[in-house]
Formats: sequence, structure tokens, C-alpha cells
Amino acid sequence: MTAPLLEIEDLHARAGDKEIIKGFNLTINEGEVHAIMGPNGAGKSTLSYVLCGKPGYEIISGNVRFKGKDLLSMSIEERAREGLFLIMQYPVEIPGVPTTAFLKHAVNAIRLHRGEPELDTMEFIKMVRETGKSLGIDNEMLKRPVNVGFSGGEKKRMETLQMTVLKPDMAILDEADSGLDIDALKVVAEGVNALRNGKRSMLVITHYQRLLNYIVPDFVHVFANGHIVKSGNKNLALELEEKGYAEFIKDKA
Amino acid sequence: MGGLIQNIKLIGADLPKLEALREKGRNSFLSQGLPTAKTEAWKYTRVRELADDDFVMEETCGSDCSKEHSSCCCQGKCALPFDAYEIHFCDGKLREDHFHLPEGVQALPLIDAVAENETTAFLNKSFEMQNFPFAALNTAYLEQGVFLRVESGVCLDKPLAFIHHSHGGVKRFANLRNIVVLETGAQATLIEVYQYSGEAKSEYCNNIVNEIFIGRQAVLRHYKIQSEALKAVHIALNAVKVRENGLYESFCRQKGANLARQETHVVLQESGAEAVVNAVYMMNGWATLDTTTDIEHLAQNTRSNQLVKGVVGGQAKGVFQGKIHIAPNAVQTEGYQLHKALLLSDEAEVDVKPELEIFADDVKCSHGATCGELDAEQLFYLQSRGIGAEEARQMLIEAFVDESFQMIKDDNIRHWMKSF
Ligand SMILES: Nc1ncnc2c1ncn2[C@@H]1O[C@H](COP(=O)(O)OP(=O)(O)O)[C@@H](O)[C@H]1O
Ligand SMILES: [Mg+2]
Repeated sequence: MTAPLLEIEDLHARAGDKEIIKGFNLTINEGEVHAIMGPNGAGKSTLSYVLCGKPGYEIISGNVRFKGKDLLSMSIEERAREGLFLIMQYPVEIPGVPTTAFLKHAVNAIRLHRGEPELDTMEFIKMVRETGKSLGIDNEMLKRPVNVGFSGGEKKRMETLQMTVLKPDMAILDEADSGLDIDALKVVAEGVNALRNGKRSMLVITHYQRLLNYIVPDFVHVFANGHIVKSGNKNLALELEEKGYAEFIKDKA
Repeated sequence: MGGLIQNIKLIGADLPKLEALREKGRNSFLSQGLPTAKTEAWKYTRVRELADDDFVMEETCGSDCSKEHSSCCCQGKCALPFDAYEIHFCDGKLREDHFHLPEGVQALPLIDAVAENETTAFLNKSFEMQNFPFAALNTAYLEQGVFLRVESGVCLDKPLAFIHHSHGGVKRFANLRNIVVLETGAQATLIEVYQYSGEAKSEYCNNIVNEIFIGRQAVLRHYKIQSEALKAVHIALNAVKVRENGLYESFCRQKGANLARQETHVVLQESGAEAVVNAVYMMNGWATLDTTTDIEHLAQNTRSNQLVKGVVGGQAKGVFQGKIHIAPNAVQTEGYQLHKALLLSDEAEVDVKPELEIFADDVKCSHGATCGELDAEQLFYLQSRGIGAEEARQMLIEAFVDESFQMIKDDNIRHWMKSF
């Protein structure tokens, strides 16, 4: 019997003064991979930000439980330490903060929270370099400031690296495929698949079906008008690829 | 107003030239008075603290007193984490009068240098008293400080450091005057550290004037940390003259005092002369930290570069006044200036006054100023990776000033200045 990891109940949320998330319901059990597909501007990124606690979004009503705890009352960092991770659609550049130093802070903050001993610099460097290798991230990239001057593909690989070393229980991938050529996409997908272990859950947000050829989901949901309008298995993604989102948007309009 | 002009016994009263200069200093200060809001050069920086009449100009006592100092104080306590020639000052008084420096480097207490007529060409020769009220006041009390001369072609093998320890107790007003002369082709690194070893709330004032003369092809790298007590006042003027192909490169980190002003006035006298004036200031509370620069390009082919970064929180105020003056014949010069401030609270304030006075054609000159807050997207990103809010803020603040610290080429000095 699998336990629910993330439970979203009738969530309503605003960005600015516009209600974007309207009555969103979804339960993700341990080990499951769910895909959310929807047209541009549907509110997919908004959903991921609301779950991670990004400032600027207001919860109107609804509940979200993560591992049975009230997610919405946690700070951003508490959510991350509890095991929530977001691969961002547009990872931000942080000049002056070296990637390795940043990652070491993050890893140790999370280890501390889990009651694990902090890694010393040598252990940490070794782990990051090894992980980097499989994602095509060399030492030179690790020395650079966070995301500064990285190409779109490099940024997504770096996000995947972070996810790999932070070992979250639940990963949200917001358009992990945007701006990637097929080779870069495969690298990212392999990195993501390597983390699938029957316990870890994922929410894969994408506009296109292509990514789901590589990260095969257990469930596919169509997101339009602020909530899920249809759910199915991976074949639903293929259907959407063919027909587009028009019928869902039109339905409600 | 006469409160800061006090009748105390100074060493060297038997030197007529020195006495005459002190008298000029007194008169100049009395005729100017303390700067007010109407004093253009001080319009953003109020010096109310100094209008109180209870500052004490301390006499330097005899040899018995220096013993007391050597036992009270801080020898070794703030020794630098790298090898340097250290000269210690305690409450504005030199703690020793013999310095051990290598051949080709002459260092004397200022008074001894005046007595030996070493200072004739330098003392009060780098600034005009009527433009600098505190330098005039400093002149009235000429006594403490060091005369340093690096002879032609000599390269000082280790940094020379002036290390200042201040204590609480009386509301002491100290005046310090150093003269640094680099002859042709000489090279040296000068470090100044100001810190307190007493109560964090000690009230005192350090008023420093450094007169710096850089000869042809000579290079002075000048690093300073101002980490005075929270209620202290710190006023410093670096008056620098640079000759042909000489280089003056400075970096000042200000993080203490309730009122502090670092003024740097560089005259690039001859062609090829260059000045680099960088600074970082960081403060909270109610402090005012002022960085004022005036770079005069008097000759062709001279260059200057300034990068000043400030981080201001609480109800503190940062002031940056930066002037670049390019004389009519100073063609093919370059003068760049950039001030960037990070405001950490709604009540923090930064006042910026850039001034370009360009009288020559064929020059490259620019100034810029930015003022912003911590980036919310960056903060979110760091926190979303598990990093605590406060730690994330610190990381971003450090990242903001890091660009400046990278200007310090020496690894030891950079690490020390960053982590001080
Ligand atoms: N901070 C904000 N303030 C106002 N409107 C916003 C904000 N963030 C997103 N929106 C709006 O919300 C809608 C959903 O955006 P987003 O979540 O980025 O969609 P998606 O990721 O599905 O393309 C868009 O119309 C967008 O303009
Ligand atoms: Mg999006």
C-alpha cells in the first residue's frame, strides 16, 4: 500500500490580483510520477511556485499536505528541507555566489534537518564532481557563479545536478525540457530517471508531450482554467499532442 | 565652537617652524568652523557629534606613560594573519619610537622627522587647509604619526601596517598625521587598521591625515580597515600626489563608527600617473559612512578608476561623493567611477553626488550609480534549495561586495579584508 506524499485539496491562489489556481485537486502517492500538461499561461508555473512558497502568490483557500504536514504554513526553506524540490523553468543567475559554495550550503542545511552529519568540503566536492560527470557538468562549471552565463541546457543540467545531490522526496519539474535540444533533453531525462526509486515522487510539468517519451509518467493530467480538467495515463499525452488543448480551453469558456 | 581648540602641551614646542604651522592650523580651523549643512563638501554628512564640547585632546605624557601603554594594550592582539612590519598606536599615540625596517626604508615618528628637517617638502604640502577643516584641525595638533620614506628603487618586501587600538574611557579626540614618500621606482604596501579594544559603545574620535607622495614609476598599494567602536567618529583624509607613471591603488573597507568619512584626494600630476580608489562600506544602526573622492587629472595620459560598493541597513546612511576633474591639457586621460549600493531596509538611505569636471577633449570618462535591494528571485532560489532566509541574505550581500574584493590582488590581504 503506497502512502500519499502530496495532497492538494481545492486550492485557490492568486498571482497579483488575478486568481490563477481555481479549485485544484491532486494526490500524489509515494513513488508515482504525474505529468501536468497545459497551454501556456494556464498557471502551471504558478502552481509550482505556490507549492514551494514563493513570495508574491496569495493562497485564497484550500489545503496542501506534504507527508501529512501542512505545507502551506512552512517557510520556503522548510519545504525544501522536508524534501520538496523544484526544477525551475527559468533558473535565476546569482553573480558572486560560486556554485559549489551554494550547493554545499544547501546540502548541509538539508542534511542537518534530516539529522545527518554535515559533509566536509572534501567529501562534498567528491560527491558533486561525480554527480556532475554523469550530467556533463565539469569542474570549471562548478566553480562559476550560480547559473551565470550558462546556456539553457546547462542551466537545466545544473538543476538536475542540484536535485540529485539534494535527494528530495518530491521533485517538481517545471518545463524541464524548455529550450533544450534532444541531446540535452536526454541527459536531463536520464538524470531524472536515475532518481526514480519507487519511493520518490515527481510532478512533471510540460507543455509538450516530447519530454514524456523520456520520463514516462504513471498519470497524465490536463491543466486548464486553473485546475485539472482531465486525467488519464500516458496515452492522454499522445492524444493531447495530436489534438492540442483547444477543446479544453473552449469547453470552459 | 572653540571646543576642539584646546590649550594642551604638544611635543616639539621647541621647533619654531612646527609651532608656526600649528598656529596656522588653529587659525584656519577657527575661521572655517565645523562643517554645516551649508558646507557643500559636507552637505550629506552631519557632524553634530563633534559640536559637543566634551571631547578631550590628550597630551602625550613622558616615558613613564608609554610603559603603562605597553602593559595595557593589545600588542599581538590584532597582529595581522600574514607577515608585515607592524607599527602600533594606542589611543592615537605611537607605542614605540623605533621601527625595524629594512635598508632603504626610513621610518620615524613624525616629530623626529620634523626635528631632522625631513618633512620640509611634504608636511602640509598635499592639501590646502581652507578646503579641509579637519585637516586644518589636524595641523593644529601635529605631533603623532609616522614619517615613511622608501628610497629610490626599493621594494618593501612585506606590507607595512599602522595598527590602531582605541579604548573607552575619556571622550578622546586624536589627531594623526602620516607622511608616506615613495621615491622613483619604489614600491610598498601600506595597511591601516582602526579598531577598538574596549567598550563597543566607547565614544572617541580619530582624525587622520595621510600625506602620500608617489614618485615616478613608484607604486603604493594602500589598504585600510575602519572598524571603530559603534559610537566613535572617524575622519580621514588621504591626500595623494602621483608623479609620472606612478600608481596609487587603494581599497578601504569601512564597517565601524557612528560617523565616518574617508576622503581621498588624488592629484595625478604627470603623464602616465594612475589612481585606483576602491571601497566597500557596510553598516546598520544609525551610522553615517561617507566616502568622498576627488581625482584631479592634471596631465595627459593619466588614468583613474573607482569602484565603491555600500551595503546599508537599519536607519543608517551611506554617502558617496565622487569627483573627477580633468584639466584642459590632460588629454587622453581615462576616468571611471562607479558606485553601487544595496539597501537592506526601508529606512536605510544613500546619498550620491557624482561630479565630472572635464575641461579637455579626447578623454574617456564615465560615472554611474545604482541603488537596489536584495533580489527577491535570487533569495527565493537559494531558500528553495533549503538555505535559511538569513543565510541566503548573507550570501547575497557577500556576493554583492565580492566584485570589489576581487580587486585586491594579494590573496592574503583579500581574505583578511573580506573576513575582518
Ligand atoms: N506575479 C504575477 N502577477 C500577476 N500575474 C501573474 C504573475 N505570475 C503569473 N501571472 C499570470 O498568471 C498566468 C499563469 O502564468 P504561469 O503560471 O506562468 O503559466 P504557465 O506556466 O502555465 O505558462 C499568466 O496569465 C501570467 O501572466
Ligand atoms: Mg510556466
